[in-house]
Formats: sequence, C-alpha cells, structure tokens
Amino acid sequence: LPGPRPAARYKPPATETNPALEDPTPDYMNLLGMVFSMCGLMLKLKWCAWIAVYCSFISFANSRSSEDTKQMMSSFMLSISAVVMSYLQNPQPMSPPW
Amino acid sequence: MKNLYIFIAVLFIPWSFSLAKYDEFEDGDDIMEYDDNDFAEFEDVNEDAVTESPQRVITTEDDEEEATVELEGQDENQEDFDDTDTQEGDTESEPYDDEEFEGYEEKPDASHSKNKDPITIVNVPAHLQNSWESYYMEILMVTGLLAYIMNYIIGKNKNNRLAHAWFNTHRELLESNFALVGDDGTNKEATSTGKLNQENEHIYNLWCSGRVCCEGMLIQLKFLKRQDLLNVLARMMRPASDQVQIKVTMNDEDMDTYVFAVGTRKALVRLQKEMQDLSEFCSDKPKSGAKYGLPDSLAILSEMGEVTEGMMDAKMIHFLTHYADKIESVQFSDQFSGPKLMQEEGQLTKLPETKKTLLFTFNVPGSGNTSPKDMESLLPLMSMVIYCIDKAKKFRLNREGKQKADKNRARVEENFLKLTHVQRQEAAQSRREEKKRAEKERIMNEEDPEKQRRLEEAALRREQKKLEKKQMKMKQIKVKAM
Repeated sequence: LPGPRPAARYKPPATETNPALEDPTPDYMNLLGMVFSMCGLMLKLKWCAWIAVYCSFISFANSRSSEDTKQMMSSFMLSISAVVMSYLQNPQPMSPPW
Repeated sequence: MKNLYIFIAVLFIPWSFSLAKYDEFEDGDDIMEYDDNDFAEFEDVNEDAVTESPQRVITTEDDEEEATVELEGQDENQEDFDDTDTQEGDTESEPYDDEEFEGYEEKPDASHSKNKDPITIVNVPAHLQNSWESYYMEILMVTGLLAYIMNYIIGKNKNNRLAHAWFNTHRELLESNFALVGDDGTNKEATSTGKLNQENEHIYNLWCSGRVCCEGMLIQLKFLKRQDLLNVLARMMRPASDQVQIKVTMNDEDMDTYVFAVGTRKALVRLQKEMQDLSEFCSDKPKSGAKYGLPDSLAILSEMGEVTEGMMDAKMIHFLTHYADKIESVQFSDQFSGPKLMQEEGQLTKLPETKKTLLFTFNVPGSGNTSPKDMESLLPLMSMVIYCIDKAKKFRLNREGKQKADKNRARVEENFLKLTHVQRQEAAQSRREEKKRAEKERIMNEEDPEKQRRLEEAALRREQKKLEKKQMKMKQIKVKAM
C-alpha cells in the first residue's frame, strides 16, 4: 500500500560515482579507433584505417547515453578521413594479408 | 651533300625495320625484285603467304646487333636471307651457310618464341583496370559495416520491445504498491513519469518510491548487448541471459542488522569475493539449502544461523523452489556498500558508507533468445520482492542474535581501524615533518639577519613548548599507572 511519507527522488545508480564499475568498452574502443586512424594516416596503411572505422562504430554502439556525442563524432570523422586519405594517396585496392 | 643525306636516310630505314618481326621471307624472288627501294623485298614477304613452306622467324633484339633466325629442320638448303647484313643496308641474299647457324636448336614451334621475347607485358595497376572485382577487400569491409549497422538497429529495437513488454506486464503491480513509479530526477516535483529511463541501448532503469518500509526501489533491466555485433558473436560462444536487477533501499528503522544471501552457488561464490559486506560478515562458504527443501542449485550465505531460520519461512521456500531457474541471487544486508573498492593503501582512511538494502538479481528465461512474452514469467518474482520487503520489516533478531550481530559489527570496525591506524599515523607524521621543513625554508630564505634571528628564536620556543607538553603527558600517564 502506498505509504504516507513523501516519495524519495531518483538518484543515479552508483556506477556514475564509481568509475571502476562502468563498462570500459566505449572508452577503449574510442582510444583504439584514434590510434588506428593515426597509424593509417601516418603509415599509409589502408587496413589500419578500416579497423579504425570499425572501432568507432563499436564505440558508438556501446556508448552510454550520458556520453558526449562530440567525442563520438570526432572519432568517427577521424577514422573516415583516415580511410579517404589512404585511398587518395594510393588508389590501389587493398591487398589481403595472405 | 644532298645525296649523302638521302643515303643516310636510306640506311636508317631498313635498320629500323629490322627490329620488327616477319613471318616469312622468300629468297627466290629476291634478286629479281630488288630495287633501290628497300621496302620491296619486305612487301613481297607480306603478300606471299605460303603456308606449306617452312616458316622462318626473323627476330632481332635491341641489344644484339645480329639477328637470330629460327629454321625448320627440313629446309636447310633453302636460301636464307642473311640478316647480319641488313644493318648495313646490304640486301643481297647469301646462300645458306650451315656453319653460321651451328648451335641453334631446331624448334618445331613455328609461332613466335616467347623466351627471347623483347616485349614484356607490363602489369597494369589494378586501380586503372576498369573492374570492380579488384576491390573485393573494400567491398567486404563495407559489407561488414552495413551488417554491423543492420544488427545495431535490429538489436536496439529488440531490447526496446523487451523493456516495454516487461514494463507493461509489471506496471499494474508496481502502481498498486508504489506511489511514485518512474522518475528521472529532472522534474522539480516528484511526479510519476510512468516511463522507463533509457540509460543505454541495453540498460533501462525504473525508480519506484512511496511505500511503507522502503525508501525506494531501483529496477535495472540489464539486457544483453544485442546492438553490438561483436557481443552477439561472442555470445554465440558463451551464452548469457538478460538480467533484471532490483535494489530496494530500506529505511533505517525498518530493517534489523543482519547479512544474508541466497542464490546459485556460482553467483554466491562470486559475490562473496566481490561484495564488501558479504566478505566481511559471511565468512563461511555457501551452504546447501537442502535442509530447508531448496533445490540443489541454490545455496545460502548467512551471518548467523538464526537469520537463516528466520528468513526461510514457508512462503519464501515456495518462491525459491518454484522460480529457482530464474533466481541468480538474493541479498539482504544492513551493511551494504557495494563491491569492494580497489583503493591504494594510503587512501583508505574511512569506512565506506553503508545502507540497508535488499538486492535481487533475476535471470530472464530464454538465455538470450527471449521474446516479449517471457517477461510475463517474471511477474511472480516481483511479488516475491514485495513480500521480502514486508518480511524484512517484520523480521527482528532476538536478544542473542542482536548481541552477536553487534559484536560482529564492532569487530569489523576495529579491524578496519587497526589496518588504517598505521597509515593514519604515517600520514600525520609526514604532515608534521612537512610543516617543519616549510618553516626552516622560510627562515633560510629570510635575507634580513635580524628577522632571521627572531624567527629562529620563535621556532625554538615553539619546540620547547611541545617538549614540555609531552613531558607533562608522560608524567600524567605515570601517575595514573601508579
């Protein structure tokens, strides 16, 4: 039965105050994506750039709603630019590693 | 002068022609048709296509000055055109000299020889070829990305449907028990939003409040990450379930002091390691609940036997037995502070804050392949939660139990203080030393000698006072001891 006392307000769960409990996947993937983008751009490796695109997609899929969209977008744009630059510099198709 | 130029030009042309290949050359008519125009002989060669006669291939290489000639074995006697003279413009045909061509292999192959072919076929770079097939790796990559996006949309929608199916099933029960159902903390007034909070594409929250006994109840629907293709693939190797986590925060006066947990053995072992309160107060290994009629899959962790006795009443046993497959863990604790915090040695100066809490973790049936209909099967579990809230309020330890519980809590606090005592002492010591050092530095930096002397004297006086205080204290202790 509903009680006579006033209802308590919502408080965000403890994970927001304790960063150790949060899922680290989106942050790792973000960082990895940036690292691969830079590798792809500097070393002109096409496969690095493609992996960077995948990383930024995975980071987006795992992200929390409170996460900054600017960060997501910047990582995504960086990876896309890495892919585009690799192909502009060297239009040859990617060769498989085998 | 003019004639000289003409002569040089005439020399140059047949030399350049000698670089080309010819199919055949007949000697028979050569002498007759030789003109000043050196093209004549070659014209004849192209017009007379004699298929039966053996074909001779005349090839020249850029490097070599002498032409090589391949011959049919049969017609050695046939007059041959001596190519060695072509470069000089001499078009006389000489009789075939066997000795000249010794060492040359006779090849039946009449077609162009490719072994000494001066023309190499250059590999056209793949991107200049007009074929999409050479870009198959890129097409693969893009297809992968499209598959990921498709999975994201499908997974997100499925999680959304599951969440709303759960809420629609449970809404009535919740609204009859709680005054406030659904709150996101943003409104000024405490009004029910009647909606789930979406924290993520796979986590949904619901806050319910306004009931006797409890401060509030936070329900977290922790679905599987269906929106992430990597996770979907990983789950194919290792199946997992969606989970519903319910955390009821009790008011201080509504729950007595005890720590108790029941659940699957695996879950309890893990919780005992991870949770601060379970590790400190429940030192024994999880015990089997068979004594109370629980199935083998469930085990019990308890602070003391009395609590277990009190908790395991008929209705509770009924709930636990019937829905054992959906129950992962149930934890009642007055010392709940969450998982053990991994802190550095020097930082642990205060016990973490505790709250009286009831925690429930349920597994959604289907092991990942859930449909919205499965959510209905979770409704009885919510009834169990409500029952537990009331039970926790009603259950009180007797005198003995209370004493034991208080002793346990005192013991834990003492242990904690002992652990941190050394650290706290060190911290205080280091602070004092730093103060002294800072003062000394100030004195040294003072340029004015007068000021320096005065500061030194002040520091000396302070130290003397401290020593006196210490001596007084020692004297007092000695007196008390006596």
